[in-house]
Amino acid sequence: MNVEFANIFIRSAVEVFQKEVRITLSRQSLLKKNAPVPGLPVSIVLGITGYLRGQVVYSMDENFAYSIAHAMLPNKLPAEIKKLTNSAVSEIANIITGQASIALAGEKMKIELTPPAVFSGKEMQVDFLSIPTIALRLISEIGVLEINIALAESEEA
Amino acid sequence: MHTGMIVDDASIMRLRLREILETEFKIVAEAENGGDALRLYDESRPEFITLDITMPKVNGLAALQELLAKDPAAKVVIVSAVGQKQIVFDAISMGAKDFIIKPFEHERVLKSVRRLFA
Repeated sequence: MNVEFANIFIRSAVEVFQKEVRITLSRQSLLKKNAPVPGLPVSIVLGITGYLRGQVVYSMDENFAYSIAHAMLPNKLPAEIKKLTNSAVSEIANIITGQASIALAGEKMKIELTPPAVFSGKEMQVDFLSIPTIALRLISEIGVLEINIALAESEEA
Repeated sequence: MHTGMIVDDASIMRLRLREILETEFKIVAEAENGGDALRLYDESRPEFITLDITMPKVNGLAALQELLAKDPAAKVVIVSAVGQKQIVFDAISMGAKDFIIKPFEHERVLKSVRRLFA
């Protein structure tokens, strides 16, 4: 696992949160794990294929998720925001990963993302890949965002 | 008023694009994947399309190719987070009129669609 991947995701998450959620994220911790198993109750899983392959798993608590949706839908009522929370956190995960993919792909490579899948609490039954993972924790006034980056170069690349 | 279709798998993004575009255009259809987009294009014949890339079933680039094979005059603007150099190049070579990278400013979207009819 290339540690530069972590810096790319930090830059992308900070920028996207500034623009879309109007919240400042700062780096809290970085640890290494054996798989991208999330540590918080709401998780968003994206698969990556192409020049890099693996998974990126975002994780947060319910209030953090609601705050993202609220910031993205400033004029909506709470019931409507609740209904769109999964869509909001999926889209934020998609945008952060998409932005990061621009730097990861560079001039010549291509990386494909799968559509994000959201899981909450105990219903989580996901097969996480056993790939060396960097778990980033970013902190803000609305709570903690965890990003588990499990990426390896494809064998054919 | 020119008519458009929004294609994105995220309902929140369809809602936001609709709010931006409906200040100047009429949105006649929404689709959440490339397959639905192709079907709805035939039904509602929009004058322009905003098309996401990362979507379930038929992705945006596959839909773009099929759409332009059916109607070479279709006006498609890609709105996607995966603005990698090679992917932007592929989309524009296939015939997309513009590539807007998420996150976007409202004005960037309106300008891009206005330019299709200038």
